[in-house]
Order: sequence, then structure tokens, then C-alpha cells
Amino acid sequence: MPTWADQAKLNSTPIAWQWVCLGLIFLVSLIIPWIVSPLWIRIVTEIFMWAGLAQSWNIIGGYTGYLSFGHGAFFGMGAYVTGIAMMNLEWPFGVGLLFSGILAALLAAVIGYPTLRLRGAYFAIATWAFGEMIRQIATILDVTGGAFGMQLPPFLNLSFFYYVMLGITGLTYLTTYLLLERSRFGYKLLAIREHEEAAEMVGVDTVTIKIKAFALSAFFPGVFGGIYAYWVTYIHPDSVLGAQITDFMVVMVFLGGVGSLWGPFLGAFVVQLINRYLWLVWGEGTFYLIIIGAAICAVVLFIPNGIIGLLEKRIFSPRGALSQLRKLIKW
Amino acid sequence: MLLQSHELTISFGGLTAVDRLSLAVEKGSVLGIIGPNGSGKTTFFNLVTGAYAPDSGKVIFEGKDITGLRPHRIAQLGIGRTFQIPAPFSKMTVLQNVMVGTFIHASTMKAAKEKAWEILERVRLDEKANHQVVNVTLEDRKRLELARALATEPTLLLLDEAMAGLTPVEVKAAVELIQSLHTRGLTIIVVEHVMDVILSLCHRVVVLNYGRKIAEDTPDRIVNNQEVIKAYLGERYSARN
Amino acid sequence: MELFLQTLIDGLLIGGLIIVVGIGFSLCFGVMHIVDFAVGEWVMVGAYVSFLFVRHLGHDPMIYLPLIFFTFCACGWVIYPLIYRAVSGKRHNPVLMGLVFTFGISILAKGGALSVWGYHIQSITTWLSGKSISLGIATVPALRFSGFAFGILITILFMIFLYRTKWGIVIRATAQDRDTANLLGADVRKVGAFVYSLYAGITGMSGVLIGALFSIHAAMGAKYCTLAFFVVVLAGMGYVPGVIIAALILGLLQSFVGVYIGGRYNLVALFMVMYGVLLITPKGILRKGI
Repeated sequence: MPTWADQAKLNSTPIAWQWVCLGLIFLVSLIIPWIVSPLWIRIVTEIFMWAGLAQSWNIIGGYTGYLSFGHGAFFGMGAYVTGIAMMNLEWPFGVGLLFSGILAALLAAVIGYPTLRLRGAYFAIATWAFGEMIRQIATILDVTGGAFGMQLPPFLNLSFFYYVMLGITGLTYLTTYLLLERSRFGYKLLAIREHEEAAEMVGVDTVTIKIKAFALSAFFPGVFGGIYAYWVTYIHPDSVLGAQITDFMVVMVFLGGVGSLWGPFLGAFVVQLINRYLWLVWGEGTFYLIIIGAAICAVVLFIPNGIIGLLEKRIFSPRGALSQLRKLIKW
Repeated sequence: MLLQSHELTISFGGLTAVDRLSLAVEKGSVLGIIGPNGSGKTTFFNLVTGAYAPDSGKVIFEGKDITGLRPHRIAQLGIGRTFQIPAPFSKMTVLQNVMVGTFIHASTMKAAKEKAWEILERVRLDEKANHQVVNVTLEDRKRLELARALATEPTLLLLDEAMAGLTPVEVKAAVELIQSLHTRGLTIIVVEHVMDVILSLCHRVVVLNYGRKIAEDTPDRIVNNQEVIKAYLGERYSARN
Repeated sequence: MELFLQTLIDGLLIGGLIIVVGIGFSLCFGVMHIVDFAVGEWVMVGAYVSFLFVRHLGHDPMIYLPLIFFTFCACGWVIYPLIYRAVSGKRHNPVLMGLVFTFGISILAKGGALSVWGYHIQSITTWLSGKSISLGIATVPALRFSGFAFGILITILFMIFLYRTKWGIVIRATAQDRDTANLLGADVRKVGAFVYSLYAGITGMSGVLIGALFSIHAAMGAKYCTLAFFVVVLAGMGYVPGVIIAALILGLLQSFVGVYIGGRYNLVALFMVMYGVLLITPKGILRKGI
């Protein structure tokens, strides 16, 4: 479980300063729209969104140990559902969002039902194929505008979307903290991840718990998709259902620290900054894919517990860094 | 009869691992299952706990047919089990491991924690409660296996080679612990290779060979059973004697 | 009736190609329990490399099959130690890490291909292009038939290797029971490297066949990755002979959906079938999967 908190209990040092830090960061983020330029508001909004998306992937990928390689489909679905709700059904934004999230969760439960009974490899394959299929569906249907995409009612208020993203991301992290770090549900998930057979033997209904976790992990991307759609006003299959969405989620979680509470946030922060920087320097291109792929491979090979893992090993103290280096070179 | 199996059979590929096995365990007794490696002992446990579904045959527990039920249902009904090679939940502490087992019956986290503490005290692991499982010795991991199984409040406990890898001193402590569990009313099935343990713990012993039951008797009579000796030591040894 | 027969034959021909994509992939999983998410990328790179050979050296792409086989085997041999390292060890969750690692490789390969060749679509023209063979009941593009023929040839050679040679027996033994095979003298790590190289070589060759028949573009990997997945689930993961039947079924499915419903629905149809299989017979239609 969270080693920072547990080690803290063991050493009985006060962890109040962690909460203070968090509080400060939260307060600062509340006033950001008043103090920075529109460009930076956009950048920070996007970081929040990705931090939330990465954490949702982390729920099923990191905490439960089942890799959803088509997770971007829930994001895209949410975008389209909110779009259709607002344009064709003329529902208000909030209702559209809720509907997006719930629909995504339901679909996840349907997909999860046969696949989560089997080994992780099946789940990875099935979710990947699911993602591909959803993209194709969006390209064929008329109601989604097909390959041309769809337009949403314009609403250009950067601050509004900033606060909505902040709020939903905060909700994602709060939910993860309450449900996954502190509750029976979280303990059961961790037990499933560490030794599923043994968990089953002590009475944990592994399949039902996994389906619930998957549904939860799909709810938030659905909502984020809806917000994103309204924010950028125009969506099409490649922008909201492209494979790169899942790719980003995966690299952010693994780079940050898979299975940890703050890893995804860290990973989202680092990856988004690097991505924006590359975009500035090299323009729109496909090179970022090479970097994402290489980063994933490097993390798996060398730092499987991500940046958070490095921090936990106290790599920034000289002794810690030296011992880590020695372990690494032993390969 | 607390547990009964009727003509339980399962094959993997071409190999019949358990062959029409029928046995019964009385409530409050300790049954030993012995047999050479590969005779189907662990497979039998897997069939009882629901990890495998048999090709044919039935498992009856407390009068109910539990054949084919999912393992977690069977655990909830009151059958607990330890693994040959301990399978703790690695990223959790000893206490947290046991707590997972208590969730069946405890309704709040607080109750779960208290119950887990109580069990750890009973198996004398309470001092290591907050240790990460990776840092704990083999003997302690075996106690943890036991504690976690006990946390589910089982009526029937299946112990799969609980003594494997323990020193004689540790074995003695383990036997005492199991005896204390038995006096508290637990029905136990023990799979073992160490004959002393079988002799001191069990009321009855079942001997398996190639998935079939070849003998069932009290421990002292089993040790002198010709079929059993032949199975363990081979035809030529028993022919010589 | 004619349309039906034509569709049937088309389906079988495509199915024959898909077999080659699936057999190496299935063996890889059966022996090392590794799902290589980069399978589509191996196909794509195979197609591109054969395209380059044809563009610069001429001749029929099929001539380069042996060369591509050995080149890709070598690549597989080089990459495997990395995969092995990702999958082994006392770290987190080896299966999970393996999946993520190959996922990373597929992104890397796709990104590399896109950066080098962009979004242009290429195709290979050979002396067979445009010609047809009449089979009495239907006419078949000669190129497609040639691809099918080579696909079947590769499959037959592979099956002979797997079931009739000493190495094949070692591989199948390791797939069935790794520990016992280890005890009997098979160096499991070497077997793994060998199997992965074989898989890379075969899948590269399938890329040549596919590149000759269909268009080549840097993002085509996803399509063949999906197909390989569907085949392997239908066949039963790790059960190689099942791949033959499953690939033919999927080829027919693709063909019939394409003609009678519309090619745009083929992913939906394939996914429905896979979903059904996972729901009802997760060990594949012949119930022989792992």
C-alpha cells in the first residue's frame, strides 16, 4: 500500500506537512486563471485533464494490475456522447457529462464481464480491439458526423473549463484516495493484483471487484471526454479516439509510478511539458511517438516503479543514488 | 460428515490427476492425506476449494453440493486453505494481509483490523504485524498463510504441506499451533510428507497414489500397510521385505 | 451463387495469409506466455522492407522471402533479451511488464515508420499484378493466389518443423511444461530466444505477402495486430494448429461481411465474434487454448 504513509507510521514522523503542501498547491491552482496568460491557462488545463486521465487508467492498470489498452475509447465515447447530447438532444452540459460517464462505465462493465474472468493477456487484447472498433464505429455513424467529426455549441470561456477540469481531476484523485487507498475495496484490489488466486481463496469475489474497478476507471475518462469536447468545440475520430490517447495514458502512469496515488500526476506533468516543448521546437509531427515508445520501454527495463519508485528509494541522497546505480549496473 | 467427495475425477491432457476419489471427513477430526509426489493431493485440495472444476464427481460440504462453485464462494461458506509455497500479498504488511481475509465477516475497517490483530496474536505473529511481507522469514510466512486462512472463520481448514521447509524446532511449534486450532473445534485436513507430524496429529489417514485412494486407516496401521510401502518405496523394496 | 462462391474463395485466400500472421504469434504466446503487441509492426516493417528491395533491386517480392526471414530472425534474436529482462525478475508483475514492453515497442516502431515514411501509401507492382487466374468456378487475381500459395507453403514448412524435427519437439515440450523441459536439458532461455526469432522471421515474411497484395502504410500495423488477436483468441491462445482453422474462418468472415454488409463494419463483426468466443468458449472454439 502507500509506502510513504506506512513508513511514516512506522517512523512516527508527522505527515501533516504533506497535507499542507497539497493544500498550498490547491490554493495556488485556484488563482492561476487570474494570474497567467491564456496560453498558460490552456496548458495547465490540459495538464489537469491528463493527470485525471492517467489516474483513471491507473485504477485498472496500476491498482488492479489489468492493462486496458483501449482506454482512450472511453474518452472519445464521452466526447461524442456529450456532443450528441448537447447538439441533438439539447441537454445541458452537466447532464451530458454525467450521461457520458455513466455510459462509459456501463460499457466497461459489459466489456469486462467476459474478459475479466480470464487472464490479463485476454483483457489487454480485448480492450485494445475494443478501442479499434469504437474508432471505426465513430467513423461510420452519421450521428457522429462520420470521418468529418462533429461540432459542439461554442462556449469560449477558458476559466470555466479550467475550473471544471480542476474539479473533475480533483474528484478523480479524491475518489482514488478514498476508494483505493483507504477502503476494503482498495485492499481487495491490491490483493487481486499481488496474488489473485490467493485473494479468491480468502473470499474476495475477484471478478465482481475487477468489473467494478474497470467501470470506475472508465467513468472519469467519459466525463473528461465530454469536457474536452465542449472545450475544443470540434471533435473527430482521430482527435478523440486516436490510439495516441491510450499511449499517453500508459506512458504517463508508468513514468510517474504505476499503482501509486501521485505517480500519474507526476507523469502527466512531465510528459505534457515535454510534449508541448517538442511541439514548439519541432512542430506537429510523429516523432513524439518514438519518444513515448522508447520511454515506455526504458521505464519497464530500468525504473519499473517510475519516478515515485525512485523517490521512495531516496535516489536523491548520495548513498541511495549510489546503491541504485550499483544495482542497475549488475545487469 | 463435514466434507465428502464422491467419485471425484479430473484429468489434465492425458493424465488423470485424481481418479474417482471418494473420501469423508468427520466434523472435529483431523484427516491426513499422504502419497508420493504427483499422487493428486494438491489437486484434490484445488478441487475442494473450487480452483478446479472436476470432470465428474461431487464435493459435499455441510450437506450442500459445492461442486463447481467459485473459490470465493466456497471460502465464504467456511473452507480455508493454505498453499504449499506461501502466497502472501507482496506490497502489503502482515496485518493488511490478514485483514483481507477478515472482510468476509467484518463489516467495518476497524472491526477488520481488530479481528486481524487477534488472529495474529493467536499465531504469535503480532510483533511483525506492521512489517512488509517481503521482509519476513519463511516460518513467519507460513504462519501468515495460516493466519490469513483463519481470518475467514473457516469450519474446515486445508493445510497443504505446511511443514515443508521448516526446521525441526519450527515443525514442533507448528504442530502445537495446529493442535491448538483443533482443540478449538476446527476440522482439519493435512497433506504432509513428514510422517511424525501425521502420526501425532491425525485421527485417520488417506493414502493416494496416481490419483486413487489406495488405503484409509488409522495412522499406526497405515505405516505397516503393504500397499502404502510399495507405493512409496517401490515394488522391489517391498518384495525384498 | 457466383457472388457467393467468389466471396468464399476470396475469404479463403485472405484466410491463408492471415494464418502466417497468426502461427508465429500463437507459438510465441504458447511457449513464453508473451503477447507481442508489436506483431502488427513486424508485419508492417516486413512489408516496407520488401517494398524497398523491390524498388531498388527489382524482381518479384516473393524472391526476397528467405532473405527477409533470416534478417528478421536476427532482429528477433537481438530484441528478445530485452523482452526477457522485462518479463523476468522479482519486479512488480512480469506478465504485466511484458505486455507494456511490447506495447511500447509497437508505439516506437509505428512512430519510427511514420517519421521515416510519413502517411504516404505505397504499393508494390509485380509481373503478376493485374493478371487473373481462372479456377473454373471463379476468377482470382493471380497476385492474391500467389500470396495464398506462399502462405500455405510457409505454414506447411512451419508445421513440419514444429511436429517433425527435434527442435520442434523441444519447443513444444517447453510450451507444455517449462520446468520439466528445463530439467530434461532444454535451456529455456535459448528456446525462448529461438522461438521469438522464428516468430519475428515468419511474421516478417507475412508482411512481404501482405505488402505485395495490399497497400503499405506506416499505420497498417493496427489492422494486422487486431487480426492476429482475433485469430489467436478464436484458435485458443497458444494452440498453433487451431490458427489454421481460425484464420480461414476469419478470412471468410471478413470477406462475407465486406461483400454483403459493407467493409466498414468488418471490425464490428470481428469484435462481436471475439466477444462471443470469450463469453462462451474462452479456450478457443476447439477448447485447446491455455
